[in-house]
Amino acid sequence: MNATNRGVNRAVLLIIGLALLGAGGAALAAAVWPAAATRWETAMAGAQAWLTAAEASTRLHESTTVSWLVVGALALLLAIVVVAVVIVARLGGGRSTTVTREDAGEGPLGAVTIAHGFAADALADSLARHDEILASRVSAGRVRGENVLHVSVTPRQNVSPVEVAALVGTLIDNLELLTGKQTPAFVSIHSSVRSKLAAEQPRVR
Amino acid sequence: MGNAVLTRVVRREMHSPRTAIAVIVLTLVAIAAVYAGTELVLHLLGAKPLLVSPGEATTWLVNLPGDEGSTMIAAGAAVAAAIGLVLIGLAVAPGMRSRHQLGAAAHAVVVDNGVVASAVAERVRRELDLARDGAVVGIGHRSADVTVRPEPGHTVNSSQVRAVAEAALADYGLRPAVRVRARVQSRTHQGGAE
Repeated sequence: MNATNRGVNRAVLLIIGLALLGAGGAALAAAVWPAAATRWETAMAGAQAWLTAAEASTRLHESTTVSWLVVGALALLLAIVVVAVVIVARLGGGRSTTVTREDAGEGPLGAVTIAHGFAADALADSLARHDEILASRVSAGRVRGENVLHVSVTPRQNVSPVEVAALVGTLIDNLELLTGKQTPAFVSIHSSVRSKLAAEQPRVR
Repeated sequence: MGNAVLTRVVRREMHSPRTAIAVIVLTLVAIAAVYAGTELVLHLLGAKPLLVSPGEATTWLVNLPGDEGSTMIAAGAAVAAAIGLVLIGLAVAPGMRSRHQLGAAAHAVVVDNGVVASAVAERVRRELDLARDGAVVGIGHRSADVTVRPEPGHTVNSSQVRAVAEAALADYGLRPAVRVRARVQSRTHQGGAE
């Protein structure tokens, strides 16, 4: 559960995929099909001639070899790098350290903030007492401006997911009772190699 | 439940975020851009190119089809086009994770397919009184494959298996719903159906 913008991820894949497909397809056609090869050569020679002419005509100064074209190309490359770094840096996020917050004047008490650590400790402690839950993790996230509690559990293999969901659900309800405020909660039940090794064996056979 | 925020969380949890592949692609693109920029700057400074100067690179591109070793070029181009196709596929495919939403729960619950499979297998095994490795269950997005291998002399028919598996799955209320395909294999000759 995080705030990664998945549309951006997919847009990146689509743009780079189309570019690769276009360039690869054109080069492949030129390599295997003579008609495409001549078109490739005229198009590329034209582009090269245009580049050379533009490079010569956009010199910053008569005395240098630096042209606006090269400066523009460098700026474009720098922009590509910056965009890539920004997209990677913005991945993830959306974690929150608050489970519920009540501002002064909203409730009978003053301002109340229940931190993620409290809810996590309470839930993890209760879950640790249950033998069928091998591992659990509690995190809080902010989704669309609302705090959401995420409880992720790994039960022993062969345990019914409905039982696990009911158990975790009861604990979440208890927490709500304790804090007196409804928090949207989301449960994920995972399988893992560890759960397979620690499969629940029938006790009577 | 019935909460727009939770619906959104569940929907996101059911689909792959495509983060890993996007990071790989962006890193490669950034490296390529840095390399091209370095060559341009070296060219401006009149220094020796790292691999190839910009002028040589464009000339190579122009003469690409006529080059000797054009099979290598064709192969490289084909690989690039194939990678492009894969990336486009990853961009537009739904990218469902192997998970289901548990409709029977009071809260928003998402379950790994493996958890469902082992629970269904356990239930089938107990209700039909099979040996420990007697039931194998595979859960897909919309199908559940239940394969049962009873001990010799123990007759089980596939409609029984299907009924038990369907009852178990009905308890879970998976979304998207799965259809049960039941098979009974005999232990003596492997792979024998019914």
